[in-house]
Amino acid sequence: MAYEIIVATNVAIAILFALSLNVITGFCGQVSLGHAAFLGIGAYTSAMLTKAGMPLVLSLVPAAVLAGAVGMVVGLASLRVRHDFLAITTMGVAFLFVGIVRKQDALGGEIGIAGIPAPAFGRPGLLVLSVVCVVAFAALAVAIRRSWAGFAFESIADDEDTARLLGIDVPRFKLFAFVVGTAGAGVAGGLYAHQVRFIGPDSFGFVESVTVLAMVIVGGIGSVWGVVVAAALLSMLPQWFQLVDDYKLLLYGALLFATMRFAPDGLAGIATRALRRVRGAA
Amino acid sequence: MLALDLLIQGLVQGAIYALVAVGLTLVYGLLRILHVAHAALFTLGGYLGVLVTNATGSFALALAVAMGVAGVAGIAVYRLAYRPLLGRSPLIALIASIGLFIASEEAFRIIFGAHGLSYVTPPLQAQIEIAPGISLSLARIAVVVLAVVLLSALGWLSLSTRTGVAWRASVSDPPIAQAFGIDIERVRHLNFFVGSALAGAAGVMVALLNNLVEPTMGAVPSYKALAIIVLGGLGNVRGTLVAALALGVVESFGTIYAGHLLDRDAIAFAFLILVLMLRPQGLLARS
Amino acid sequence: MSALLSVRDVTVRFGGITAIDGARLEVEPGRLLGFIGPNGAGKTTMMRVITGVVRPSAGQVLFRGSDITRWSTVARIRHGLALAQQIVRPLRALTLLDNVALAVGHRRLTSPVAAMLRHDRRRERERAHTLLERVGLAEVAGQRPEALPLGYLKRLEVARALALEPALLLLDEPLAGLNQREARAMADLIAELPGPSLAVVLIEHNLGEVLRVCPTLYVQDGGRALAFGPTSEVMARADVRAAYLGVGR
Repeated sequence: MAYEIIVATNVAIAILFALSLNVITGFCGQVSLGHAAFLGIGAYTSAMLTKAGMPLVLSLVPAAVLAGAVGMVVGLASLRVRHDFLAITTMGVAFLFVGIVRKQDALGGEIGIAGIPAPAFGRPGLLVLSVVCVVAFAALAVAIRRSWAGFAFESIADDEDTARLLGIDVPRFKLFAFVVGTAGAGVAGGLYAHQVRFIGPDSFGFVESVTVLAMVIVGGIGSVWGVVVAAALLSMLPQWFQLVDDYKLLLYGALLFATMRFAPDGLAGIATRALRRVRGAA
Repeated sequence: MLALDLLIQGLVQGAIYALVAVGLTLVYGLLRILHVAHAALFTLGGYLGVLVTNATGSFALALAVAMGVAGVAGIAVYRLAYRPLLGRSPLIALIASIGLFIASEEAFRIIFGAHGLSYVTPPLQAQIEIAPGISLSLARIAVVVLAVVLLSALGWLSLSTRTGVAWRASVSDPPIAQAFGIDIERVRHLNFFVGSALAGAAGVMVALLNNLVEPTMGAVPSYKALAIIVLGGLGNVRGTLVAALALGVVESFGTIYAGHLLDRDAIAFAFLILVLMLRPQGLLARS
Repeated sequence: MSALLSVRDVTVRFGGITAIDGARLEVEPGRLLGFIGPNGAGKTTMMRVITGVVRPSAGQVLFRGSDITRWSTVARIRHGLALAQQIVRPLRALTLLDNVALAVGHRRLTSPVAAMLRHDRRRERERAHTLLERVGLAEVAGQRPEALPLGYLKRLEVARALALEPALLLLDEPLAGLNQREARAMADLIAELPGPSLAVVLIEHNLGEVLRVCPTLYVQDGGRALAFGPTSEVMARADVRAAYLGVGR
């Protein structure tokens, strides 16, 4: 049972992390190749605070605030650079985060932070907390998607120059997406730190940023349910591949490639096509 | 003398960056794809360099084989991975490319082992004193000479031949080039061959400098080269060369003077972000 | 001061080139003004000065009593300016109806948080439907732009601009790329747009249609205002005929 709880918590955290990027990349169309930095900011903030005695649930608030604040700064940068320039800028932010953390003794430097306290309510409690956070964030995402804000995001993702000509305050919407998305990642980071109870600079590298972007794209950019399923599947893959441990990453890379190559519109696209076929047959 | 030493180190590193990044920026110009798997061809070049040298004893032959095979592999990547995805969002190709890169790193590990390979007798190790108190290994000099020769050859090819003119036209404006009757498929094949061959050559040279090839040797080039082509203005070859050298030098000075605050990668990306905030289109924008 | 828009002695220089050289232009409320000039006259630059894409090196742009010279494009649009672009740019993920409905609701999109709390699109869609009817696109309202011909998308541009409820509508070459019959129909549509609360500036190469529907003309040549006034008077001037029609060159 304990093992299943750990796996389920991992999956919940991955879903939250992917949903948070989906607000930025899926809804607003701003590609980020450095989202792991915000997971890291949340993780470090929350871990330092609980080590100093703060309860985990409370520590998630500053984790979200700090990640969101840095996200706002990156969002401001996103107003200067576009498209692929933005993707590489965000990638740079992630390297900058890791590079700074590595050199700060107060943050554990290369070694990282060990001995992060176990949540007072135990592993099942952490799972419940993670699931509550996921459900809350998914509800927020769906609410945004269906509202006029989602309508505006759709136009910005489509063609931001035209959105501007329609009187939409594009910079404010972009900043909003960055703040919501990075704050969500901050919460995911806080949960993650207490799930693994040991974090270091390498926990938040380029591969983690790419993995979460892959979850959003495999899920079908923008689709909340697609992203939930993709994040669940991709985060469980390593567990399924335990049997073939040596080939784990090989399979992961090949699968990523194959999904994009043969089902480029992601799971949401596959589901839509299947549904259409079923309806057509009926 | 420290400054001169750092400058030379930076330029050697910059020359390697340039060899890797030129192919990447050309791919971007043609297809608007961030071709992360380019770094896999760099690794392939490195492995072939060591394997062929160890088997035949000829470093020159190894370099030629590495470039040729990497070039052909580059064409294969284009045909298998990118051509079917051209009408899609470039993000799709980016993730496909990253998947391919991860899988290829693993393939190198599984086939050749996690600890990598070394030259049995590493070539070009003699030291030459180029200025009082500063000596360089022949290998470092060879890196710079090779980069200058290959990139000059590329420059000559693109400026002075019919194929080159078609190529440049296609990189700077694909739809217009196509409208002028340029066979864009041929240009793309040529582009992937040449760009990948250059990356392969860079892999050979890095293997020579470190006397080591390992499965993860492509990791740093995979993201650093992206930073360089963005810094150079995405699709701008001259900008990419300037950016590669600039980044090499900035890193080499930065690690000495700011190394206590940031690691090497963070220095490179701090420089990148700073430049982009001042010049959002990179050092030299596309014309 | 009754002019809706006045461009006063505007000069634009790019590097060493003077694209616009002290041009003046006034648009009265409720008018349809034809804006013509030969290629290279600086028409596009002038329009970009009005929309705020290009900042003039000298001169002022006044709109509805405010000096908007330094305003952003979005601020100008919120102040009552709208543009239908020459190169059509529909939002491809949205139906025509939603393309227009989004513009109808643009005032709700100032704050993302407030926008998040609003879900209902019915009223905006109704209004969008009326606008699509007005430009003759009602029967394709539910379609996405991809498959539709250029003539439809040009009309969509107009409907979307009208949805902003502007006081001044700039139409940038709305007839370009249309065949003769489509161009005529579009010009007829444009002729009916101006009203008590809407003035229209029509920037157009199709001189025949401009002369047919526009009661007043503004002619620009070599970055300068060459002539401005009732169409028949302007076209009677020898310098206009020389500049525009190439007569006597």
